[in-house]
Amino acid sequence: QVGGGPPERREGGPGARDGVEQKDKKRKESILDLSKYLDKAIRVKFSGGREASGILKGFDQLLNLVLDNTIEYLRDPDDPYKLTEDTKERGLVVCRGTAVVLICPMDGCEAIANPFVQQET
Amino acid sequence: MAVSNPSTLLPLELVDKCIGSRIHIIMKSDKEIIGTLLGFDDFVNMVLEDVTEYESTPEGRRITQLDQILLNGNHITM
Repeated sequence: QVGGGPPERREGGPGARDGVEQKDKKRKESILDLSKYLDKAIRVKFSGGREASGILKGFDQLLNLVLDNTIEYLRDPDDPYKLTEDTKERGLVVCRGTAVVLICPMDGCEAIANPFVQQET
Repeated sequence: MAVSNPSTLLPLELVDKCIGSRIHIIMKSDKEIIGTLLGFDDFVNMVLEDVTEYESTPEGRRITQLDQILLNGNHITM
């Protein structure tokens, strides 16, 4: 019989819950509890290269976000992978969960010198 | 049980509140769409009216379409 995968083999961690074992109750729990970031400034990166930061006002299980006082960080037009100093204020936005690739708190983030620069020998 | 705290603002509720208003949609690419939101679906495909399309890179306004458009939600970022 082509059964519902080998749930018993997955041990430990957040996977070992009752909901995973039964095939009818496929309840996907979020691995990141966003409620701890509510009313805090977060940085969000999107598929396509856009980056923004703002205050998290709301979210859903699909990772759609509501950000307030949003600032979009603009990329260098010649090199889309390089951030410039330019920013654009976007106000109250909804971020599509399908486009979100990274969420991190602004508190604890800092820019550092490039650690990957090759040393001249 | 991962249930969002009911006191948070649900993103799709906010979109729903915008129905009837002019909204600004930012795509994954360097394109932005401004129009009056008539409605949307579960995939956040949107029906808009009196639409202006902006391309950020060539730095110019592009097409203005009226008579309603259906915007595919696949490429919407914000």
